[in-house]
Amino acid sequence: MKLIEFKNTDTQRIYNDYINRSKRAIKILAPEDQEDCLMEINSYIYEYIQNNPQEQELTAMLNILERLGDPEITLKEVVATKKIDQAVRTFNIKHLMQALLLNLRNGVVYIILFLMVLFGVCFPVLIVLKLIYPEKTGLYIGEHTFFFGIATSKEGVSEVLGNWFIPVVILLSVLFYFIIIFLLKLVKTKKP
Amino acid sequence: MKNDFLKNWDTQLKKGMLSFFVLQALEHKECYGYELIQNLKTSMEIEVTESTIYPLLIRLMKEELLVHQWVEQTSGIPRKYYFITEEGKSNLVEMKKNISVILSKIK
Repeated sequence: MKLIEFKNTDTQRIYNDYINRSKRAIKILAPEDQEDCLMEINSYIYEYIQNNPQEQELTAMLNILERLGDPEITLKEVVATKKIDQAVRTFNIKHLMQALLLNLRNGVVYIILFLMVLFGVCFPVLIVLKLIYPEKTGLYIGEHTFFFGIATSKEGVSEVLGNWFIPVVILLSVLFYFIIIFLLKLVKTKKP
Repeated sequence: MKNDFLKNWDTQLKKGMLSFFVLQALEHKECYGYELIQNLKTSMEIEVTESTIYPLLIRLMKEELLVHQWVEQTSGIPRKYYFITEEGKSNLVEMKKNISVILSKIK
């Protein structure tokens, strides 16, 4: 992105400071999304100053920055929206967690999705537990029991998956993850 | 002269209608952010700041009502032009119908 150059050094300092604050506010985004945000902010600043020649450079800069507001606040919704796009686009668990965390305030559906992700994270843990405690980890089924995880064996309850436990958990993890991404895609276009 | 209640009500009304005004403005002509703010101000007497319009434009793109295209300028600072989509146009038609229904009830 081409930075704007100002004659007045104070104007330049204020501008540089605002751009740096904006960069910090969007550093969580993908590089191309960061560039898009910065270019847009830059464009708003440039167009305002060009279209208000009656204002002194420094005054014009202060006015446009006041109109743009604190980048941490103005860019909050932009970051949350673009982060969901990135999560859906990349299928990356890190971006998915960040996107859901940023959108927790945007509705119950994001809280549910976040809890689903947390639940999904438990599956790999179960695989590790199965390797460490093969006798105590599995799918336990009894007359009044259906338990998936780590447990001590009881009378009338038996572990049914055996060596199939790890492949089943891997399959469930993948399935769960795709369901989460699918739901996220669905709410992405439905929720304001 | 408007009292405080009316001023607040007027602000809230325009804020609630902002998506509609943006879609309506873009229905006639694609705009970049600053140009759109000026159009809203001159043709619809709506004062809106960059801190309001930027997140709104992103939200409307997320809803697939708008798309954008960066256009290079001789200044080296490109402009991001927003265009209304077919879905945006059909939503605008529905919005206009809803507004007409409300207006007919007021009359």
